[in-house]
Amino acid sequence: MQLTSSLFKRNVRHKLVDASLQHNMKRFGGRFSQARAIAMLEVDNLEAIRTAAAAIRDRSLAHLDSYLMAFEERAMACGTQVHWAETAQDVNRILIDIARAHHVKKIVKSKSMVSEESGLNEAVAAAGMAAIETDLGEYILQLAEEPPSHIIAPAIHKSVEEVAQLFSEKHHTTLQTDIPALCREAREQLRPHFLSADMGISGGNFLIAETGSVVIVTNEGNGRMVTTLPRVHVAITGIEKVLPTLNDFSTVLRLLTRSATGQSITNYVSVLTGPRRDHDRDGPEHSHVILVDSGRSRLLGSELQLALRCIRCGACMNHCPVYQNIGGHAYGWVYPGPIGAVLTPSYVGLENALDLPQASTLCGACQVVCPVKIPLPELMRVLREKSFRLGLRPWHERWAIRAWRFAADHPRLYGWMTRLAVRLLHRMGGKEGLLHRLPGLDGWTDGRDMPAPSGRTFRDRYRETRP
Amino acid sequence: MQVGLFVTCLVDMMRPRIGFSTLKLLEQAGCVVVVPPDQTCCGQPGFNSGDRESGRAMARRFLRTFESFDYVVAPSGSCTGMIRCHYSQLFPEDPALQQRLDALSARTFELTDFLANVLKVERLDSPYRGTITYHDSCSGLRELGVKTQPRRLLARIPGVHLKEMSQPELCCGFGGTFSIKLGEIATRMADNKCHDALDTQADAIVGGDLGCLLNIEGRLRRLGDRRTRVLHVAEVLAGPEPEQD
Amino acid sequence: MSARDNILARIRSGLGLPGTAAGAERAQIADYIARNPRGPRPSFDATDLVARFCERSVKLGSTVERVASLAEVPQAVARYLKASALPVTGVVWPALQALSWQEAGLSFQAREANGLDLVGVTGAFCAIAETGTLMLLSAADTPATVSLLPETHIAVLDAARIVAGMEEAWALMTSEREGLPRAVNFVSGPSRTADIEQTIVIGAHGPYRVHVVCHG
Repeated sequence: MQLTSSLFKRNVRHKLVDASLQHNMKRFGGRFSQARAIAMLEVDNLEAIRTAAAAIRDRSLAHLDSYLMAFEERAMACGTQVHWAETAQDVNRILIDIARAHHVKKIVKSKSMVSEESGLNEAVAAAGMAAIETDLGEYILQLAEEPPSHIIAPAIHKSVEEVAQLFSEKHHTTLQTDIPALCREAREQLRPHFLSADMGISGGNFLIAETGSVVIVTNEGNGRMVTTLPRVHVAITGIEKVLPTLNDFSTVLRLLTRSATGQSITNYVSVLTGPRRDHDRDGPEHSHVILVDSGRSRLLGSELQLALRCIRCGACMNHCPVYQNIGGHAYGWVYPGPIGAVLTPSYVGLENALDLPQASTLCGACQVVCPVKIPLPELMRVLREKSFRLGLRPWHERWAIRAWRFAADHPRLYGWMTRLAVRLLHRMGGKEGLLHRLPGLDGWTDGRDMPAPSGRTFRDRYRETRP
Repeated sequence: MQVGLFVTCLVDMMRPRIGFSTLKLLEQAGCVVVVPPDQTCCGQPGFNSGDRESGRAMARRFLRTFESFDYVVAPSGSCTGMIRCHYSQLFPEDPALQQRLDALSARTFELTDFLANVLKVERLDSPYRGTITYHDSCSGLRELGVKTQPRRLLARIPGVHLKEMSQPELCCGFGGTFSIKLGEIATRMADNKCHDALDTQADAIVGGDLGCLLNIEGRLRRLGDRRTRVLHVAEVLAGPEPEQD
Repeated sequence: MSARDNILARIRSGLGLPGTAAGAERAQIADYIARNPRGPRPSFDATDLVARFCERSVKLGSTVERVASLAEVPQAVARYLKASALPVTGVVWPALQALSWQEAGLSFQAREANGLDLVGVTGAFCAIAETGTLMLLSAADTPATVSLLPETHIAVLDAARIVAGMEEAWALMTSEREGLPRAVNFVSGPSRTADIEQTIVIGAHGPYRVHVVCHG
């Protein structure tokens, strides 16, 4: 996916005045958050489960190489071929090699965020094959030639009218805005593709070391289609997604679906182990898994390791007031919202996504809902520290911070400076007591007044009243 | 009981009467309050902008200034949150210093938390009259668990009628330097907050952190609203202050 | 060095571990997997698992009918299809072909499903009361497509095989089977999507309806 994270501020400006996006984001607003809150009501020991889920993820990460090797050994024993991709480009190359080896012409895909990282669809098209997205949201976006804006609900930024227009144009059908009818239309368009495709590509919500299985968690059934009907199945997933056991998976699943969509369980949870067995009447003849590093191993042992706990539920973005106002595209890469503000700089380079760790008030709403207790504000602060240390922030920002630190550490200087500043600002505020414009603080005064100070500092006044 | 008042840099500069209200509330409750003259800032603006040294320098200063008190109280959840939750990770190389700092952090309280949970204040004779809506500032709420404390205190004032917003816990968009660095998003978030507050038809928006209040008031005034008051909870709890302008 | 070696080496160096995984590390992993501990889960009243399963299934958008014995299942299926004005033809798991479908007026073929089948009848390895979930294991006589391609999925469930949670389902599988089948499919109601304006629509790519006939 094309990276525009370095243009975050420009993106934000566009998104804030995009009337249709704003309308759609308002509708999105609290729906997922409410659904989550309701779903959690029946979980009487949420904290205990969160703690256990975080510990399970930490255990996987602390012995990641061993668990991956255990997974590989068992997957291979069941007939799955395991491939390792160091970079996003390697993912595309490996996938295309597999496809060519199996003489694949048509590919059906269920949702895989990892494949968005590498721009897999474009690479596959360039290699002369067709890859058709089958998750309804992803299908809509493929028709619209847009990237996803949410990891769970990729087309959340689109209204039914926009989808209707798109379907009518691309399917050459009459315009209809009834949502169930549009879903039926997509089903009818995609069903023949499922039945005729040579290869199915899926993501993998988890890998199970105990059994060598790939787990996919879905609602629409397209995930089952692409992993059952075509003769070749390829699952693409990050190396961090391994879990030790099926019991561990059961613990994590209870939080994943509730955190994501507010469901106690999704319609389908499929645990896939190898290709079709002797005498089986259905299922793929060949099963492959591509394990993707692409920046993940770099986080191990670093202050950002906890970000690898992520199970991609999307709760952090659903609850993020910044995300709610600008949508996912503004973040400029695959993962938006708070987790994106941590992962994007980590995977594509901090210098290419400098504003993302700043794109948060550190309000903490994300951390409160994260099912695996990732301290997202803390991780964003770690990246801010790195930016500051490497001198990547604008000079005036760094200068101002250092000047403030110096003054605040010299109380007499500080007293003198603040005394002058409040006197000046008080005068500038005039009778209204409002500052409409403040040089250097345009970021504030462009959209807000600054209530003027009353003219003297508390400490000066206190000294007078209580000598 | 000797209490050091950490007035915070924003209150010191922007709205001293919040400091006097705090002083009054603490003294009314029987505390001996001292305002150390050498206090400045908690270091959060720099710390959250990535300058860890800001946090460390200010933590050392805070320790020097306040270590002798039984308690430290600040009329801000955000500064208290900085002290209580973040000072604890600043000196891994100096366990002795860290330990002293942790001990002091544990004695440092946000004002309403201190009044409600430590002093267990029962009586407040504020003459304040009016309908208010309460904004839960993020640090106070999520780092310190300040939620019921201000509401319990406000409920003791007969003239105060509280009407809740639909999303009192939603961030107002202040976020310290965020409000300048990403001013456009901050403005939009403040806008949402203002509209939620105005929908309650309260005549005052009340909160526990001056940063958020400046952000909300700034947007409110820019929108042309000169009527709705934006007040710190200390101002409401203490009632009018003779020193006020 | 292969990509695999590079990745594993980077992981180990990131984690601050020595060159290659020693036997002790592998043993630790193997031990954890062998111990296979169960995690905490929400409590629910587990006195009547069948009632809980039925209640949760309905909540998920499935329908449930209880009958006294397996022999009564074909008649119940026929009644359901006729009452819902659905076709009385379709496909059934070979594992269930011995039931007297024909006597009930149903014309089912015992095989995997194709894109044309409108009704698919499966059994279930077991079911989970906690969430109202069916657990289906793929095999030669229990093909996975039967619960996926047809618009109507009818599942025949033995009430005695309803367990409390997913952990008990795994334990049951381990006690009765050697290893995992190609696919373990947990099915919790008809397929759905909320990808347009977060509006829940029943019937995305999979079945529009799931009907459970629970016997015993």
